Amino acid sequence: MKIAGLEKRLRLAGMFLIAGLLVEAVCLLWARPLAFILMVGGGGLLCAAGIVVYFYSLVSGGEATRQQSP
Amino acid sequence: MHFPTILLLSLIALSAVLIGVLVAWPGVTVTRGGKMLAFLVLFLLPSLCMTMGVSSELQRATSTEFCLSCHTMASHGRSLYVDDPTYLAAAHFQNHRVPADEACYTCHTNYAMFGGVKAKFNGLHHVYVQYFGKPHDPIRLYEPYNNRECLHCHLGARSFEEGAVHTADPDLLPAVKANKLSCLSSGCHDVVHNVGELSKVKFWKGAQ
Repeated sequence: MKIAGLEKRLRLAGMFLIAGLLVEAVCLLWARPLAFILMVGGGGLLCAAGIVVYFYSLVSGGEATRQQSP
Repeated sequence: MHFPTILLLSLIALSAVLIGVLVAWPGVTVTRGGKMLAFLVLFLLPSLCMTMGVSSELQRATSTEFCLSCHTMASHGRSLYVDDPTYLAAAHFQNHRVPADEACYTCHTNYAMFGGVKAKFNGLHHVYVQYFGKPHDPIRLYEPYNNRECLHCHLGARSFEEGAVHTADPDLLPAVKANKLSCLSSGCHDVVHNVGELSKVKFWKGAQ
């Protein structure tokens, strides 16, 4: 079995989201004014990117099946 | 750490673990249940976490502790403890005329429509100036203090409407209510923070 484009995109989306959530967690623990900027500007963008990649993987349905290797 | 923050951190950890499962085994999404799990884990949970996180940060941004965490605001923070009732900010803070844990925000937010949003944008500008610019010394307001922020609490209060000084001149209260005469005018409530004079005053130690 070979990982298809859909799975690559899901992995990419997941990594963006994990990074975004980690940034958010750090910002919640770091109670400084800069933390809010970092949360919205860093964590928010990473999460948004992850969600966009996930949605893109849904609409690019042509590759939504596993490719069989020879 | 507050309970809501612990709850949110737990939700973030749970989301990260579930996303990790999907990253490790993306093949689970070929089934209907896997697709539903992916939608939950890659969209709903992160959206919920971000919404709650931003909400939590916005709430924290109203705290006195948050405002005073910038070095620039240290002298204004000290002015809240001046042992002199003529110091307007100190008198409000020490007598809990404003919530002590949201003292700065209560007086310095904008009580007009979208005032909270404007206050947040001003806050972003503060952060920008703090890290990338040079704050004024002493710092000053962006625009003259609007009586609207005082009247938000004082309008209709007996001490305000029937105070001897306020009623001595029949034109005074209408002018104050129309913001034509500032509450902070010379001779009225003109001693607010006065951070330049802090070296000459006594401090209240009751709650420190």
